[in-house]
Amino acid sequence: MGIQKDTVKFNVGGKIFETTATTLANAGRNSLFGAMFDDNWNLQSERSDEYFIDRNPECFAVLLDLLRSGELCIPSNIPEKLLYKEALFYGLLDHVRSAKWGQFDGNRLRHSRSIAGQAPGDGTAIRAGPDGGCCVAHGSVVHVYDWMLEEHPPINLDYQRVNDIGWIDSQGIVISACERLGRGDGGMALFSASTGELRHRFHVTHENQVKSYTGGKQIDFYYEPPGWSLGDADKVQWLNGTNCLLVATLFPRKDNCYISLLDFRDKSMVWAWSDIGSPARVDEKRVRDAIAMEDTNSICVVNEYEDLGFMDMRKTVGSVRWSSRSRLMKGKMPDEPCYPKLALHEGQLFSSMNDSISVFCGADWVLTSRLRRSYGGSICDFSIGGDRLFALHSEENIFDIWETPSPQII
Amino acid sequence: MSNNQKKRNFQIEAFKPKEVVDPKYAEKTWKILENAIHEIYNHIAGGLNLEELYHNAGGLNFEELYRNAYNMVLHKFGEKLYSGLVSTMTLHLKEISKSIEAAQGGLFLEELNRKWTDHNKALQMIRDILMYMDRTFIPSNHKTPVHELGLNLWRDNIIHSSKIQMRLLNTLLELILIERTGEVINRGLMRNIIKMLMDLGPSVYQEDFEKPFLEVSADFYRVESQKFIESCDCGDYLKKAERRLNEEIERVSHYLDAKSEAKITNVVEKEMIANHMLRLVHMENSGLVNMLLDDKYEDLGRMYNLFRRVPNGLSTIRDVMTSHIRDTGKQLVTDPERLKDPVEFVQCLLDEKDKYDKIISLAFNNDKTFQNALNSSFEFFINLNSRSPEFISLFVDDKLRKGLKGVSEEDVEIVLDKVMMLFRYLQEKDVFEKYYKQHLAKRLLSGKTVSDDAERSLIVKLKTECGYQFTSKLEGMFTDMKTSQDTMQGFYTSHGAELGDGPTLAVQVLTTGSWPTQPSVTCNLPAEMSALCEKFRSYYLGTHTGRRLSWQTNMGTADLKATFGKGQKHELNVSTYQMCVLMLFNNAERLSYKEIEQATEIPSPDLKRCLQSLACVKGKNVLRKEPMSKDIGEDDVFLVNDKFTSKFYKVKIGTVVAQKESEPEKQETRQRVEEDRKPQIEAAIVRIMKSRRVLDHNNIIAEVTKQLQSRFLANPGEIKKRIESLIERDFLERDNADRRLYRYLA
Repeated sequence: MGIQKDTVKFNVGGKIFETTATTLANAGRNSLFGAMFDDNWNLQSERSDEYFIDRNPECFAVLLDLLRSGELCIPSNIPEKLLYKEALFYGLLDHVRSAKWGQFDGNRLRHSRSIAGQAPGDGTAIRAGPDGGCCVAHGSVVHVYDWMLEEHPPINLDYQRVNDIGWIDSQGIVISACERLGRGDGGMALFSASTGELRHRFHVTHENQVKSYTGGKQIDFYYEPPGWSLGDADKVQWLNGTNCLLVATLFPRKDNCYISLLDFRDKSMVWAWSDIGSPARVDEKRVRDAIAMEDTNSICVVNEYEDLGFMDMRKTVGSVRWSSRSRLMKGKMPDEPCYPKLALHEGQLFSSMNDSISVFCGADWVLTSRLRRSYGGSICDFSIGGDRLFALHSEENIFDIWETPSPQII
Repeated sequence: MSNNQKKRNFQIEAFKPKEVVDPKYAEKTWKILENAIHEIYNHIAGGLNLEELYHNAGGLNFEELYRNAYNMVLHKFGEKLYSGLVSTMTLHLKEISKSIEAAQGGLFLEELNRKWTDHNKALQMIRDILMYMDRTFIPSNHKTPVHELGLNLWRDNIIHSSKIQMRLLNTLLELILIERTGEVINRGLMRNIIKMLMDLGPSVYQEDFEKPFLEVSADFYRVESQKFIESCDCGDYLKKAERRLNEEIERVSHYLDAKSEAKITNVVEKEMIANHMLRLVHMENSGLVNMLLDDKYEDLGRMYNLFRRVPNGLSTIRDVMTSHIRDTGKQLVTDPERLKDPVEFVQCLLDEKDKYDKIISLAFNNDKTFQNALNSSFEFFINLNSRSPEFISLFVDDKLRKGLKGVSEEDVEIVLDKVMMLFRYLQEKDVFEKYYKQHLAKRLLSGKTVSDDAERSLIVKLKTECGYQFTSKLEGMFTDMKTSQDTMQGFYTSHGAELGDGPTLAVQVLTTGSWPTQPSVTCNLPAEMSALCEKFRSYYLGTHTGRRLSWQTNMGTADLKATFGKGQKHELNVSTYQMCVLMLFNNAERLSYKEIEQATEIPSPDLKRCLQSLACVKGKNVLRKEPMSKDIGEDDVFLVNDKFTSKFYKVKIGTVVAQKESEPEKQETRQRVEEDRKPQIEAAIVRIMKSRRVLDHNNIIAEVTKQLQSRFLANPGEIKKRIESLIERDFLERDNADRRLYRYLA
């Protein structure tokens, strides 16, 4: 058999398309087109000069262009959902997803969509999944959205109040729930993100409630020194570089703030800071959230006026170096303020305050961008993952999706 | 109205979602797909490739099949599609299983391999058609993906079918056995079949092949090793074991899973080596000891490499080697024949060391633990003989006196390094120092040393080994030699003129303490000499005030010009004592022993030796003795031997000296060594107690021994005596509460 001619003719729903095997090879093995070729990417049969496919020709045109140029351009007359369905048929859904938005950059974020939910009450937490989906906890129910922002069956743990949620991988979500008063149930469980099925229930045996998860199986408990309440922690963060756990117990829960790094290999506290004994005027410097930044060996904290403070992880006696920006913010507090939250993504620091999210960059953490939407009220939680940023509002049941546009043409 | 109809009226229809596809249509769709699966299997079995299949199998159209499968999943018939796939594939596999079972003899594996290839091709095509189901229905319903399902069904219906499972295993094991007996098998086919088992999952490979394979191999090698060990000598056995091991490694690389290598080599190692280790090592006439004796580097290397693979293998070799070295070494150092010649004795030790160094480097991979074993063995037996330090020093003396003439600098270094190595084994390094000092003094004073560089090089080595303290006196001796030269030069430039052509004097001024001097009585020098000596004394004391000079006449030499009866002239090289005796004959014809003794005041044993060498040594008898006899008597009379002749102008008259120490001398040296140790032990005790303040008896002994190890092995009894002495002198005291504790008194 000689060299095959490269062009291929398709009749899709009555419309003729002509393309090349090279273009189709971009679809990869795991697609309808991949199956049409043999191991050496030669077309498997030449029975007729055109292949009939009983599908929507407009969508085929869009997907073919995606294979040709790697860019996704959805004309306004094609509903996204229809296009996704067609992509699923051809096995091109992953191609569509990766072309849909660009690599995450806090300074180039554009508001893409806002999703309103039906759940009553305030949102508790929002968590971005690894491939662009997210889950939102409202009271005792967690709503799951995939990257197409299709809602999946909601999940719950015996309808107990959810404390925190997190993604184990693109298919698994962990819920940790409070115990109901006097029942002593509470606990943690792993759910399938796509079907909402319960996969595994963790057996947590401790008198304290579960407040958050770190991933993996419960191996042992760490008993904290008195006063440094780990069981009541507001925030825990696993540090990969040092194999330590950052535990922060903060103001509204306790009168003072405690931040510590725990090393579970020898069950010891390797670093600690507290604001006990700080000067009397501390009430304007009360730490509301903390995040460890391993690249710079520092811990960033934020107070209720969105002042950032920094501590050195390498020094055993920590003192906070505050940057004073609070003057800028004073005087325009909204009716229902939300406490600031912090997040870190590839050297960019994000801090949410009221209805906006600030982006800080560089060694001195200069404010470079501010993300704000006009409605929905204050942001009570936000999360970054799958190259997207999700922000959950507290006044109305709504969350925003921020994406970086796909790369420019030149 | 019948009852029946009434009932039907009351029936409530279940609510149906409006867009349900007619199940009949789903059935029809499935039939198309089922037919396609049949077609695929049938046509692939007929030898068509994928391309030809779609081309020729009239009814098959990929796009259509893909769409049909898609539709079934879309309209909630995924379950039907999946279970249909399972049953259709199972049906085909059952038939395939029958055709494999029917294959006769050697064709069995080939048929299995062919069917496996076909199944894989079919599976690929089926998976392509059902791709949509694979991607959507299967993950959300926790089913097994199509490809994996195909492998599982193959495993359950073919590999685990009762008629195939055992036959497959037996065929594989039989082929391996055939290959082990040296015949050629189809390795490609083996590789394909084993690869199939591996593709079906690690547990299939392990359970259905690897485990029984390892068991059968263990049996095989158990029997074979038994046969070999009864018929072969150790070297041959090891060769065979090595070959078997390499064969198995090669087998793994050709057609087994790489992970099996460690397991099968383990089996061979255990059966062929570990189980017979002791028998091999101790095998009569060919075991390890024989290999060592005959320097069989290749066999030893093989043994090392094989034994290294099994637990305790190397330690077995090491233990046998160690005890062999110790035994032979012990024989060597205690053999009275050997003790006659110290140089020969040391040379034997060096040869032995060289032999084992070579074995360790050539056969034992320079293994550190073997080197350590060798060192400890030498240390063990060298110290069995208390004369080893003396002999080693004598060996050096011999080498530095004459042995190194015409030898290049590097070779000198090599010899010295070897000596240092033996020195390191010595426990009584201070005894060596004593002897070395004596021997060095003799060499320096008699000007017999061959190479100053070699002497210094050895001292540097000793210094790096034992520290400054050890060699400071030896270095002092060299300095004395140098200053003496300068002093003599100075003496002759200032006094040269007035001395005229009288006798020439060469004085070596030796610092007391640096040299092993024996207090000796100064003899009466001839008048010419004593005048010259007086001049030197006044010159020396004039330049160095506050010093004292005493003459060591027992250590000097002299060159005499002598004319004998018929006018034959000779230059005689003699000792100072001999010179004094001979000079007497300038004024007398014959002298009695008594007269000589009176005139010279040489101590009588020395005088006797000196006269013996002058009168009784054949060829060098410048004196004649009456009566003629070997020994010197008090009543003997001596005359100049006028008939003395010699081929040489220069005649060296040696003194009869015992090279080796005589028994009383040995005792004396020993005693002096013991005396010298006392202050060293005391210093060590004080140093330790100063830092520790309080210490119990056992710990002191341990620490002192450790501190002095580099010089000698301290005797605990002696240490105890030293402690007592220190207590008496109020350096230490015993603790009042615990008598075993000592306290340092500042």
